[in-house]
Amino acid sequence: MASTTPSKPSSGGLQTTTIIAVVVVGILLIVGGIILGQATPLLFPQQASAEAAQVDNLFHIMLVIGGAIFLLVQGLLVFSMWRFRARKGETGDGEPIHGNTTLEIVWTAIPAVIVFVLTILSWQVFNSLQAPKPGEASVVVAGARFNWAFTYNVPLSILGYEVDETLLPPDVKDDLADDGTVSITSATLYSYVNQPVALAMDARDVIHAFWVPAFRVKQDLIPGRTTTVRFTPTVADTYPSGIQCAELCGANHGIMRADIVVAENEAEYNKLLTPILESRLFPPADPVVRGRAILESNVYPCYTCHVLSDLSSANWVGNVGPALDGVADRAATSRANATSQTAAEYLYTSIHEPGAYLVPGYGNLMPQLGVPECDVWAMVAYLATQSTSGSAPFEVVQPDVCIPQVSGPPGSEPPPAGEATAEAAAETEVVPAEATAEATAEGS
Amino acid sequence: MSQKTLEQGLSRHELQDLRNKRTGLAIFQISWIMTFVCLIIVNFWMRSSQPAWPPAGVEVDVFVPTLMTIALIASSFFMRRGVKALKANAIEQFTSAWRIGLGFGVVFAVVMAYEFITAPGSGQYRDVYRLMVGFHHVHALAIGYYLIRVYQNGRAGHYSPTNFWPVEGGASLWDFVTVAWVLFYVVLYLI
Amino acid sequence: MASITLPVGGGTQSGAAEAPKLRVSDFLRWSVDHKIIGVQYMAVALFFFIVGGTLAMLIRWELLTPNLDVVQTGTQYNTLFSVHGLVMIFLWIIPMMAGFGNYLVPLQLGAKDMAFPWLNAFAFWLIPPAGILLIGSMLVGAPESGWTQYPPLSTLYSGDGQTLAALSIHLLGISSILGAINFIVTIKNMRPAGMGWWQLPLFCWATLATAIIVVMATPFLAGGLTLLILDKIAGTSFFDAGNGGDPQLWQNVFWFYSHPAVYIMILPGMGMLSEVLATHARKPVFGYKMVAISSMAIALVGFTVWAHHMFTSLTPELRVPFMITSMIIAVPTGIKIFSWLGTIWGGKIRFTSAMLFGLGFLSMFVVGGIGGVMLAAIPFDIHVHDTYFVVSHLHFVLYGGSVFTIYAGIYHWFPKITGRMLDERLGKWHFALTYVGFFFSFFPMNFAGMLGMPRRVAYYLPEFQSVNTVISISAFVLGISTFVMLYNIWISMRHGKKAGANPWRALTLEWATTSPPPSTNFIDDPVPFHDPYGYGDKDSQAYLDDIDKRFGVGEDVPVPRPAVQPAASGD
Repeated sequence: MASTTPSKPSSGGLQTTTIIAVVVVGILLIVGGIILGQATPLLFPQQASAEAAQVDNLFHIMLVIGGAIFLLVQGLLVFSMWRFRARKGETGDGEPIHGNTTLEIVWTAIPAVIVFVLTILSWQVFNSLQAPKPGEASVVVAGARFNWAFTYNVPLSILGYEVDETLLPPDVKDDLADDGTVSITSATLYSYVNQPVALAMDARDVIHAFWVPAFRVKQDLIPGRTTTVRFTPTVADTYPSGIQCAELCGANHGIMRADIVVAENEAEYNKLLTPILESRLFPPADPVVRGRAILESNVYPCYTCHVLSDLSSANWVGNVGPALDGVADRAATSRANATSQTAAEYLYTSIHEPGAYLVPGYGNLMPQLGVPECDVWAMVAYLATQSTSGSAPFEVVQPDVCIPQVSGPPGSEPPPAGEATAEAAAETEVVPAEATAEATAEGS
Repeated sequence: MSQKTLEQGLSRHELQDLRNKRTGLAIFQISWIMTFVCLIIVNFWMRSSQPAWPPAGVEVDVFVPTLMTIALIASSFFMRRGVKALKANAIEQFTSAWRIGLGFGVVFAVVMAYEFITAPGSGQYRDVYRLMVGFHHVHALAIGYYLIRVYQNGRAGHYSPTNFWPVEGGASLWDFVTVAWVLFYVVLYLI
Repeated sequence: MASITLPVGGGTQSGAAEAPKLRVSDFLRWSVDHKIIGVQYMAVALFFFIVGGTLAMLIRWELLTPNLDVVQTGTQYNTLFSVHGLVMIFLWIIPMMAGFGNYLVPLQLGAKDMAFPWLNAFAFWLIPPAGILLIGSMLVGAPESGWTQYPPLSTLYSGDGQTLAALSIHLLGISSILGAINFIVTIKNMRPAGMGWWQLPLFCWATLATAIIVVMATPFLAGGLTLLILDKIAGTSFFDAGNGGDPQLWQNVFWFYSHPAVYIMILPGMGMLSEVLATHARKPVFGYKMVAISSMAIALVGFTVWAHHMFTSLTPELRVPFMITSMIIAVPTGIKIFSWLGTIWGGKIRFTSAMLFGLGFLSMFVVGGIGGVMLAAIPFDIHVHDTYFVVSHLHFVLYGGSVFTIYAGIYHWFPKITGRMLDERLGKWHFALTYVGFFFSFFPMNFAGMLGMPRRVAYYLPEFQSVNTVISISAFVLGISTFVMLYNIWISMRHGKKAGANPWRALTLEWATTSPPPSTNFIDDPVPFHDPYGYGDKDSQAYLDDIDKRFGVGEDVPVPRPAVQPAASGD
């Protein structure tokens, strides 16, 4: 008898038993949810930011509740399958129960309360993630297929030694004159413990998404607008491929990654930035060396689309654009003919205005990268050496403004006196009047 | 012509069929007007990101489009009159009302095509303008062509008070063109 | 017993009706018979299911290792998953659901056909060319921007294949609008006497809710695709930020359609599930009205949640309202889950293959549902947005949800469509392989996603190789499981046991006629039972016995008839 009459929660006689059953099941579910919730730390990568702690906490709560619901539904399902299975030879139907208003109100109200609570909790966490933090460091991020570049504005004081500002390259001087800092760009994101960071992010071509799993932050980079993401790292460490593009951006979307280095403190952080700053302040005199250094640093996304065996150690293995092995020969012959430019001009235009001339068989996929003038010319000088013969088939004349005056930080090998003086003299002749005036003003 | 009189001439099956067609066309209209709403949203989205709309230096002529909007509404009105006349078995009145309606419609179509070609401004403004006018025009031309066929059939005596669906349906579609255009007119010229 | 309403009105046609013979050639040409169109939809959808599944297998093969090896370039990989997504959504689930709708809605209403048979056929015949266009797009400059086709990747950086894909989706959108208009008119105008709104079978309710979503949302897809195609071929720049456009405009328009589209894919399945659970548990649907109303509530609230797909791109201030609505939609979904549990509670559950898939749905869909609520919480979504967590979630609701219900529907209605039963033993193998393969394909993706693996990548960090190996091997099992079902369909079509009119002893009207039904569906105007799920009702046995008597019982009787026949009720 008992095995064929299904128990109904509202049956009068079963009232006490039902209540006890509901309470017992409820307790079991809560305990089950809490046990499942213990898995939270295993499910996340290293918890390395203040934001990560908040997000993990929220997830923990959701996992406990979700786990309890999961157990409830699967439990009811398995129980019903066993308890209410049709026995052999049974031909009848189940009891014609059409509904139970109380029960229906309960299972509408309880989920409503749960999602209400979750909404409030999420809202609070979200507000705190978005809120600007006092003393935020600002870093500019550029995303371009398929590379990240981070630009920092640093004062000369981080060097720890005096620099003769009058001998700096003219673009650095301009930069300094703006706000007293020099902007330096790296393919690695640097930060230090407990320093809140706000990233101002721009996409150069398509939509990208900046994601640091260890920090639990993500924000899309959208062409045409600057977006912001905030985080405060809490664990000093190196995070290889710690940044991952999370919005489909094309062929090599999966390898659009970047490293993060979180230093112990500000002094360590400054030490990390110093070599990058020095390479900007004291660029190598030889444009070929300089161009190679720029391309090797991977601050521009060239390597993700082009292949060049000379730089294969710096990941130059891209397969989207034309291969650059022997590019100097082609620039000197067929491409220069097709574009009625000199080989050097052709290379310059191809970097500066990528859409102007397309290599046959390739689409207009390369974005305007905003590479500074002198960096372009240095790249051209280096690319001119990429010929099958091993030597440049044509000459690349560097514009005067792009010829550095000093070639190394104090303590390094000083440049031959005569050459430096000659260059400085040459410079004085072409520097426009207002630039000279500015330099004078700064000196005084 | 009241619903009751109409029913006398129709079988149960035909009535069901007519009811289905009316409901179906109404739902289609509700549905497809959403495409026009979508384009209106595109318009508002675009203007919200521009400093000035229309862009500085662009003179939007409201006079001609207003006349054309009135012409289109008049056209719709005469189409409706035609349907009414047909249901009252006044075939002659039906074709003449339909002829006037078509005339207004053709004027609208020709002038708006000219407006499309000589769209003012440049860039996003002109693109959105042409998108909306062009999208509407495609519908107006397709439905207009159908109305002309209906008119020819009407003159050949194909329709009667018991066989009027192509006419009623055509007029409803033309009402749709009018409503969609009035929405666009407000968005393109008035606000 | 004189008060019992019999399925065949008045018994004027007392002679047992002869089920028509099906010929393959009938299904290969233009026909306005809704049953033929329904089968055409299903056959085409199953074909594209195989196509999309093959692409999925290639994806999983590629992902066995962290670097490219199966395909040559990242672009090819992107094409695989882009076309996989588009095919599975627009050429498998949506047409399959439309197929069930076409076949079942007129039958459940006791009608002879849909309201607009010609339009119905036209809507179907848009699908094959659109499918060819979509598959062909892979050959001419691959579409590589995912099924979401976000510009500027799709507009400025993808080939002509992207344009063809967009055109194809445009056609499919129009097809589904035309189909939906037909459903709404049929359900609204063609219900038989004695079937009020609250006697409407839940599959019809769900189809109605779906059709309302389609007619209101799909035009936005049409509008958006028009802009996208113009950007690609007419030189406009609606989505090109470099020329004053805005890529986010697409995201809003696209998701305004595509989030409701998720409900387009799941609601008909939920309707089928209600039929399957009630019939095989021999019990009325628990809280029928709430299940029907919650379909409508989901359809309605579904229009207000679209921007939760943009939690990492939307202006932060605008995100919170969409979190609230996304959380709210969990409530009607929860009502459905608990109502179904209430339906099987106290029943006499028969573990047919259809029922197993129905129960499997409940078990898997709840995982997708819980994941969905977690994703609605913005801070957590920010972490797992565009990761394998989302891939897991969407497959739990679309595979564990829609596809499981489609399987349940196939086992449930195959006897009606062909007049023969599917093989139950193969069906159970199919279920076991699908359930295990599915769970281990998609559940581990949660871990991969949370630990840091983004979606849509051909390359991943070496630490994710072990989890991807598990996923891929399970996916191959899942792939094989599909062929068990196809083999089952293939042999059962010819050699399956004769089904009879009503093998499951179900009360909805499609069972009150021969299997397959004659071209006019019913010999006479059928009279529906006063409650489509009146199992256990004292009159229902007499009603069902009358069907057996008039149309005959099949060779195999999966639901045994009561030993004692109620004394000759009608005559």
